[in-house]
Amino acid sequence: MKRILTPVILGLFVFFASYFLLSEEPLKEAGVLSTSSQDEFMKETHAGEKETRDALENEPIQQNYTPAATVSPDKQEGIVPNRLEIPAIDVDAPVQSLGYTDEGGMAVPANLTDTGWFEPGTKPGNQGNSVIAGHVDGRSGPAVFFDLKELSEGDEIYLYDDEGTRLTFTVEKMASYPFQDSPIRELFGPSSGQRLNLITCTGSYNQEASTYSERLVVFTVLTEVEDV
Amino acid sequence: MKKLLSSLAAVVLIFGMFAPAVFADHHEEAMLRVVHASPDAPAVDVYLNDEAAVEGAEFKAATDYMKVPAGEHTVEIYAAGTKGEQDPVISTNVTVEAGKAYTAAAVDNLENLQLKALEDSMEASEDMAKIRVGHFIPEAPAVDVGPIDGDAVFSGAEFPMVTDYKELEAGTYDLEVRTTDGTQLIDLSGTALEAGNVYSAFAVGTADNPEVILLQDSSAMPSDMPETGFGGTNQTSNALLYAGILGLAAAGAGVFLTRRKSEA
Repeated sequence: MKRILTPVILGLFVFFASYFLLSEEPLKEAGVLSTSSQDEFMKETHAGEKETRDALENEPIQQNYTPAATVSPDKQEGIVPNRLEIPAIDVDAPVQSLGYTDEGGMAVPANLTDTGWFEPGTKPGNQGNSVIAGHVDGRSGPAVFFDLKELSEGDEIYLYDDEGTRLTFTVEKMASYPFQDSPIRELFGPSSGQRLNLITCTGSYNQEASTYSERLVVFTVLTEVEDV
Repeated sequence: MKKLLSSLAAVVLIFGMFAPAVFADHHEEAMLRVVHASPDAPAVDVYLNDEAAVEGAEFKAATDYMKVPAGEHTVEIYAAGTKGEQDPVISTNVTVEAGKAYTAAAVDNLENLQLKALEDSMEASEDMAKIRVGHFIPEAPAVDVGPIDGDAVFSGAEFPMVTDYKELEAGTYDLEVRTTDGTQLIDLSGTALEAGNVYSAFAVGTADNPEVILLQDSSAMPSDMPETGFGGTNQTSNALLYAGILGLAAAGAGVFLTRRKSEA
């Protein structure tokens, strides 16, 4: 009895111990991946704002707050996107307009090569957070957003519509969040900026739940509107 | 048998070390934004529990939602840059609940300044827009809000009242704020209200110079993050494989060792 049990227990122990060591532990909290933290970014933008204000209006009052999401007709450059281009990681993909899943989650394209815009939310270019998601991989290989993690602050993302408008968004920061504990409102909710957030999967794959443990989010902000 | 038990104990111990820590609970937070709606008050600094939360907010400024811990907070409003030199213009306590959103609006003229705390809606229905109206114009008469030449959507709002939210079909409206006898105060032609969004329209300023700040309280959002992968490039399957090989090797070594022992 002992002769069989000891090796079996030893084997099982080594199996579980090495499995836990080899598989990547999910992050417990949001990890900021880019070098510039949000605080630094906030400081930078506010410094920038202050400079322009000083030059233009000689405004002596120091402001430290982010303004609320207001509705103003002059800030609406929104488009219905049909093509997404990210030169830094060689992505050039169609964009589908998608809504909710049956469970009320965000729907994604049924194929691995397209990306999906969350159509009930904000139009890219409008004030607020617009969101585009894409797969990181399929069952056997990489998908459209496999290299999304390679992006860094300052990289540009182009979005096109049917009418020849090109919006340029610039990467501000990247972060990953636990799947069940992501700040949905920060990613999809109101914002005073004209923002686009790209989402894909990251972390380790959970076979049981059939999903990745984390989501990678690339936060970008509108920097240019052109007709091409 | 004793040996078996102690090996099991060791396994349990090791498992304890690797068990994922319970997620830190950061949901015990509320959201709070501040609106400066007092037409003759100077730019202000807002302190939450003695810490500067907002600096230099001027009339008509509204901050984005700030995360604050649930519970009671002391809100103090100072004329910008005067904390330590002057008394606050308002000092009041506000209690906020986790998972809810609030607007704290400084309303009325400076000499009667008061802080009005409102709970904000965080979701509209899928194909409707939701909006409420606040009357923050001191000394102005009661107002109606509705389509130009149409029936009022909100009627008889008095200073400093905020109406309940109402659901409207999404679309672009030519709205106006008018006195209850029909005199137009503010023209809001071309107001776009989108499905799934929630808005607060606050009438501010003076009776001679009324204006509206239209804030967005919420927008359409999914309940869950998207499912954006199938695991085809993830190393977890490799981890399983390697762990399996190591485990088998260890079991094999165990069999070999016990056999040699019993032969000896």
